[in-house]
Amino acid sequence: MNPETLVAINVGLPVISALALLVLNDKRVRTAIVSLSALVLISSSALLYQAGGVMFSPEHIYEQAVVALDFVLLAYFLYAGIKAKSPQVIALGLAQIIPAAYFEFVVKGTHVENIIMVDSLSILLTLIVNIVGSVIIIYALSYMEEHEHHLHLDKSRQSRFFFYLMLLLGAMNGMVYSNSLYWLYFFWEVTTLCCYELIRHDMTEEAKENSILALWMGLVGGVGFVAAMFVGYNAVHSIALTELMAAPQALMLAFGLIALAAFTKAAQFPWHGWLLGAMVAPTPVSALLHSSTMVNAGIYMLLRIAPAIQGTPLSTVIAFGGAFTFLITAVLAIRQKVSKRVLAYSTIGNLGLITLCIGLNTALSYSAAVALLVFHSVAKGLLFMGAGVIENKIGSRNIEDWEGVLGRLPLTSTVMIAGMVSMFLPPFGMLLGKWVAVDAIASSPLYLGLPLIIMVVLGSAATTFYYAKWIGYMIVAPNSLAKSKDEQLETPYKLSMVGLLIVDVVISLGAALVFNNIVVPVIKNVYPVVITTPNLSIDLGFTAFPVFALWGGSLAVILIGSWLAKSKGGVLSPPYLGGTNVDNETFKTTADSEVKLSLSWIFLGGSIDEAQYEKVALILGALVTVALMLVEVI
Amino acid sequence: MNTITIITAVILALATPIIGGLLAGVDRKLTAKMQERIGPPLIQPFYDVLKLWGKNPMISNNLQPILAFGYLGFAILAAGMVTFQQDLLLVLFIMGIADICLTVAAVSTKSPYSYLGGRREFLAMLSYEPVMLLVYVAIFLVTGSFTIKGIYAYGQPLLMVLPLALVALMFVLVIEMKKSPYDVSGSGHAHQELVRGVFTEFSGYTMALIELGHWTKLATTLMIFSLFWAPNPVIGGVISLTMFFLALVVDNIYPRLTWQKMLTTTWSVGFTLVLLNLAALVFGGVI
Amino acid sequence: MHYDCGSCNGCDIEILAALTPKFDVERFGIVNIGDPKQADVLLVTGAVNYRNKEVLKNLYEQMPAPKMVIAIGTCACTGGVFHNCPNVLGGIDKVIPVDVYIPGCAVRPEQIIDAVVLALNKLSGAVKVEEDSE
Repeated sequence: MNPETLVAINVGLPVISALALLVLNDKRVRTAIVSLSALVLISSSALLYQAGGVMFSPEHIYEQAVVALDFVLLAYFLYAGIKAKSPQVIALGLAQIIPAAYFEFVVKGTHVENIIMVDSLSILLTLIVNIVGSVIIIYALSYMEEHEHHLHLDKSRQSRFFFYLMLLLGAMNGMVYSNSLYWLYFFWEVTTLCCYELIRHDMTEEAKENSILALWMGLVGGVGFVAAMFVGYNAVHSIALTELMAAPQALMLAFGLIALAAFTKAAQFPWHGWLLGAMVAPTPVSALLHSSTMVNAGIYMLLRIAPAIQGTPLSTVIAFGGAFTFLITAVLAIRQKVSKRVLAYSTIGNLGLITLCIGLNTALSYSAAVALLVFHSVAKGLLFMGAGVIENKIGSRNIEDWEGVLGRLPLTSTVMIAGMVSMFLPPFGMLLGKWVAVDAIASSPLYLGLPLIIMVVLGSAATTFYYAKWIGYMIVAPNSLAKSKDEQLETPYKLSMVGLLIVDVVISLGAALVFNNIVVPVIKNVYPVVITTPNLSIDLGFTAFPVFALWGGSLAVILIGSWLAKSKGGVLSPPYLGGTNVDNETFKTTADSEVKLSLSWIFLGGSIDEAQYEKVALILGALVTVALMLVEVI
Repeated sequence: MNTITIITAVILALATPIIGGLLAGVDRKLTAKMQERIGPPLIQPFYDVLKLWGKNPMISNNLQPILAFGYLGFAILAAGMVTFQQDLLLVLFIMGIADICLTVAAVSTKSPYSYLGGRREFLAMLSYEPVMLLVYVAIFLVTGSFTIKGIYAYGQPLLMVLPLALVALMFVLVIEMKKSPYDVSGSGHAHQELVRGVFTEFSGYTMALIELGHWTKLATTLMIFSLFWAPNPVIGGVISLTMFFLALVVDNIYPRLTWQKMLTTTWSVGFTLVLLNLAALVFGGVI
Repeated sequence: MHYDCGSCNGCDIEILAALTPKFDVERFGIVNIGDPKQADVLLVTGAVNYRNKEVLKNLYEQMPAPKMVIAIGTCACTGGVFHNCPNVLGGIDKVIPVDVYIPGCAVRPEQIIDAVVLALNKLSGAVKVEEDSE
């Protein structure tokens, strides 16, 4: 299959599926469409990987369609802003629609020779979007059934939900294939649309408020793109990315504006508020948009422009923006009591780490960023899916109600624990990526490396803290782990969670293959390749990560431990309560009263003042934003 | 690496629990001498572990034995990474898995003392990990590599260039050995406060595994400290043993501090020492 | 592991003394542990009453076998001067099996050390237990 057709499939099929899902409201038809689309999209991403890169322009009619749709979209945003009485949305909408119209009709600058450009970076994003995205939409089939059941809805609104979910996949693919800044900006705004519509899906006051927050922060990015188009056209008389990347010096302001847009999409400081607020949406939204797919759009933009801004102060500002975000979100995550908020802070933090690596802009750090992107998308999608199931089954969002959930929901909890372990422990890929990142930061000039490494080591220790504590409380078992009847998982749940877990383990096990076949192709056109994989280990020249030795050792430990536990066994004994046990969870105290043991988790409430940290985050974010703009003109 | 080095490395890694056990025995004997007592025989810790292994098995939940073995197993894996001269960052992360196995096992039993010990153990990990990572970064800046191979290749003893980093590592050692002033999570002496803290719900063979794991971590940490005089392993050994002895002295002198103090003093003093050391190296033109 | 079952603390102070450098029970490898799950020898002082008999039983059961119980002081052996009191059940052997009895009020640290060593020897089978006639 030629790449042009595959591009059309990757962008067009989700749109067609979305429309079908919007119109057809039957559950079995929906399952069929989603499953079929998933199969086609996964295959087409694999085929595109085989086919390789290409540059071409589609029929002229598509160019006109994009322009028309773009104005319809912007008009819709204005309408939404007026309806919600949001001055930010109205102002930002006008700030886009007027200059865009001027640019299109007066300057007539939107035409570009090769609108579609597929290269290794695009293919990487397609793989992530299509594979992780499809799995999550399959997951959503069961989730939305349960969700609407909980809400006692008389009329199902799932068709609208699935329309926007599927549309997002098409928009993401379209964005990563765009060479024209105008097309890229259009698809970017479509993702903002999907984000807005999906966050407000439940139509509660909270949902509507948070959707407006996400909308205007997204629109800031849009304004950034429009401004970048003007700057770019002014300097090189073109808005093609290929042209812009070729003449960076004159265009630093444009790159700064694009970086700003990227920061808003990837929820880096000070634009993190919308992602935290977005957690009110149904979990597939959080899994798809806000951890593994849409936020990757911001990262994609930074990865795209990084080679052009190597060694510039802009790059340094980006690095520090990511570093501040990584550290402070890691600390704030310790305080969170809502499970999805912990995951949200973790997402923002890890995106911050990736941003840091991109900003550092060396061959090694860029490799770290790409590797982290791959591993993070898979693991985070998995974690959100698991969190959604557990929330639905135990009926609570409070993380303290997760205590002992391993006994009640064994399969889901095992998937969650495996996912969490894969986020921060060796021998999994995220740790590998973090290890490469630490090596990259340590290898940079001292004035950069030292402050960045201090932030990374502190953030990394905080990350260990909140994930390890979560895992510990999940496996609380006053005695034995009785197989519970509570857990009856529908097929879409099992398929999506176990499937993505298998992907997670396989890519970590085969990290060397992932590196050679997915990461290196992205890097090698623009940076020297500094990582090799002898004996399927990861070798940086001055140090190495022995993948198989670590996997072998870890599995040996687990197997021997299990064998030992089985052979020696033991009598189950109650906890030590000073001799006052009544049963495993109750003790006798004053006046012979029997009290149930209640132990709270650790949130460091006395030491971490959330409000203060938030204030610091906003101030640092504001400084970074100002710096992003100023650093080109000084 | 030829076969002899591989075999030596494997044997040394598997011997770390025994080395650690001897050190634990020395610990008890020296502490006794400092308190003008006779103290137990030197190999008492081994008697203890054998006794624990022979007790009737008693567990709190089905995962506890696996996690207890995980503590020992990953500690030995970390020891193996050291004897095979691998990357120090990875050694730290794997010892981190061992710690997490212990803490998760402690928290998974619904016991107040275990919970309390587990919470404090998380805080202890939070305290010493960043300092250790920063010291390893300092080693990288000096030798150009994170691996132990790189430290050997550097030629010059690390103690000559990074003396303050070694002092910072003293804090790490005290926290790891669970000695005053930082024995907040599982001290041997804190009955009224913690019972046995993070170790409360372990008994019999699971406690034996934890003891062995503790010894392994001790021995591995001291092996890493001995790298500060890499060219001559004997002098390196003397350096580690001196730090070990100092930790015992500190234990006998200081009372137990709160976890807040542990966190703030370790970070502030540890970071300051390493940064001062690095500043001196920058001005001295070494890096 | 040491449990004060209702003692006047006289015997408890002597147990503490046994741990001090002057008497140093640690030279036999013995340490005082507060956790029954990791203890081998249970040292009990004081007489058992209706309130603490459950606690005593509970602690005894939480100790993994093989284990030894030592009744320290006359009150722990038989109830001592309190054996007729309305809330007192008597010596601790009313609740749990005892391996070594040390009468005395208060017991001397040397006797405590002697008793612990006797208990350990009994544990290892080095001391033959005579069949008790009563």
